[in-house]
Amino acid sequence: MLQSLAGSSCVRLVEQHRSAWCFALLVLGYLLYLVFGAVVFSSVELPYEDLLRQELGKLKQRFLEEHACLSEQQLEQFLLRVLEASNYGVSVLSNASGNWNWDFTSSLFFASTVLSTTGYGHTVPLSDGGKAFCIIYSVIGIPFTLLFLTAVVQRIIVYVSRRPVLYFHIRWGFSKQIVAIIHAIVLGFITVSCFFLIPAAIFSVLEDDWNFLESFYFCFISLSTIGLGDYVPGEGYNQKFRELYKIGITCYLLLGLIAMLVVLETFCELHELKKFRKLFYVKKDKEEDQVNIMEHDQLSFSSISDQAASMKDDQKANEPFVTSQSPTSNDSSLNN
Amino acid sequence: MNVFDSSLSLSAQNPSGSRSWEGSSCLGEVSQECKAFTDHHLSLSVPCCVSPKAMCSGKLQTGLLVAGYFIYLLVGAAVFQALERTAEKQEKMAAAQMKEAFLQNFTHLTVAEMEQFMKNLTEAIQNGVYPVGNESQIEESNWDFSNSFFFAGTVVSTIGYGTLRPKTAGGQIFCVFFALFGIPLNIVFLHRVGKMLSLLCKKLGKFLYEKGMRKKKIKFLTLLFFLATGILVFLCLPSLFFQKTEGWSYSEGIYFAFITLSTIGFGDYVVGKQPDRNYFSYYRTLVAIWILFGLAWIALLFNLLTTVLEDTEKIIVKDIHQIGKVSKDNVASQQRRCWPAEFIPEEELLPPHAGGDAQKMESLAPDSEHPKTEKNAFS
Repeated sequence: MLQSLAGSSCVRLVEQHRSAWCFALLVLGYLLYLVFGAVVFSSVELPYEDLLRQELGKLKQRFLEEHACLSEQQLEQFLLRVLEASNYGVSVLSNASGNWNWDFTSSLFFASTVLSTTGYGHTVPLSDGGKAFCIIYSVIGIPFTLLFLTAVVQRIIVYVSRRPVLYFHIRWGFSKQIVAIIHAIVLGFITVSCFFLIPAAIFSVLEDDWNFLESFYFCFISLSTIGLGDYVPGEGYNQKFRELYKIGITCYLLLGLIAMLVVLETFCELHELKKFRKLFYVKKDKEEDQVNIMEHDQLSFSSISDQAASMKDDQKANEPFVTSQSPTSNDSSLNN
Repeated sequence: MNVFDSSLSLSAQNPSGSRSWEGSSCLGEVSQECKAFTDHHLSLSVPCCVSPKAMCSGKLQTGLLVAGYFIYLLVGAAVFQALERTAEKQEKMAAAQMKEAFLQNFTHLTVAEMEQFMKNLTEAIQNGVYPVGNESQIEESNWDFSNSFFFAGTVVSTIGYGTLRPKTAGGQIFCVFFALFGIPLNIVFLHRVGKMLSLLCKKLGKFLYEKGMRKKKIKFLTLLFFLATGILVFLCLPSLFFQKTEGWSYSEGIYFAFITLSTIGFGDYVVGKQPDRNYFSYYRTLVAIWILFGLAWIALLFNLLTTVLEDTEKIIVKDIHQIGKVSKDNVASQQRRCWPAEFIPEEELLPPHAGGDAQKMESLAPDSEHPKTEKNAFS
């Protein structure tokens, strides 16, 4: 008896803390993933950097030798100033003076990269007022962006995902799961080609020294909002129609972000992924007196339908005549 | 926090599919029925199954939102332009003057030679190689393990400073795939950390509830506690710390903290990159831990602000409707004739109508989490 008790308590312990075990696994997995990335990046990039350092050292030496009147200290001082300006996006080279970083369209591009949290860094606010305004602008603007994206994606998802899946499920008679998976994959392919491959081809044509891989890399880094800033379109010398180009890029980034979120949401609504995600989340306690202050479940994509379900549950308890309406509403919705 | 973070993490927050309305909007006073009503119609715009008022409300809401967003962008652009243009002009003039002065001092230097030299240098800088300083820096690489770890972290959290950037084709391709799987992993991870943080607030709320405080007061106090401690721990204290270790001013520290934690990550201020400072070991690790918890906190903060904005927007829409309804009563009653009789709501019967629409929405949302409704829709 003691054995069975001990066994059951062990099992209960593991079961109770299953979520905690999963979380520990998650933390471990995350750290391992970072370490793996570090190792690979290091081994790939280090040799190249080595080469560059040696080259630069030789260049500097040669320059100093050629111009013997120049002392190293004076050169360093000059370089420091030039590099400081370059960090802020101001180039001292004479043929790059045409591009302004803060005309209206460039500022619009900058504002959109700030609000989407991409943040390239090719132009940064120089003045203190600009920095302070940047903070205040983002504190209000980033939630605004979230709200905006949620609303737009919600509407698009109905037409792009839910209705086609329902249509194919009814017309062709396949099971919902299969239709959903196929639809998600097809949507993924279409989005990748429309928002990655085609724009990458366009950028590799419009930008002088970008090949296709670099353009694709730019599209990915921008649309995932990482925004390293090593490639920024529209900064080339004497870019034709620079204003229009910048506006076009802003629109592309916004639309691309919306498309990415639609695809993400479609994938997340797949049944299998939902079950997988549930492994890692804490079970909610349904205590009556719990003060749920930080449960900000309002703005969610898939849980708008969950909210509806929960609302229906609450109201079914209160208004019994809702259920009598449901057969008629179902018929008419299917007949539509 | 980034947009994926909030959307994905929010959608995963109720695995059981139900949620409590207790603390649904801390600051908004929107009634429950109105909220449910507009919630349903935010996600569905099926013609002829929805009352004209509801359809109008949903479309008006979205229209207002889209228009408001673009106006916000335009206003921001104009203000940035006004603030920054003069500073940029001054910077350009200063740089040109300095170049002139330098060339005058060393007259045998031709402009072409110097331009070439500076071009090479600028490219090197953009690749992360800093050519100023003595030779001993050559031993420290930008791509040693700890710096690569830091880079991997900035990619996966989507901060993306850009001071370090993969230059080889292999590095770029790997970066794409690494981010493809790393960003969702990061989102899930941060979501859990955020839950841990909000648990603290819940515990405080429970403690105060047991002491007998009223719920509204508890809500307010817990919110205040959340904001105050968060700002102190994640913005103010680290800025003081950075003042000591990086030599930035206090406001620069706050600017850096905010830009990092919101994952904008310009890269104009980065920790551990000053060449003439000695950092104690584990400095970067400490900063990484701060970034991790700070990201989760800011995600919660942004969720809170989004709720506030959403509630404000709904109040505005409701007000517009009140105004519109008074003037358009006749038109509305004529329009109602085209809808089937069952779906015409009386104004008093809003909640059950919302329930009816929810039933419809369940039938169109195939993967709801309530097996009962699925059976109803597809039996």
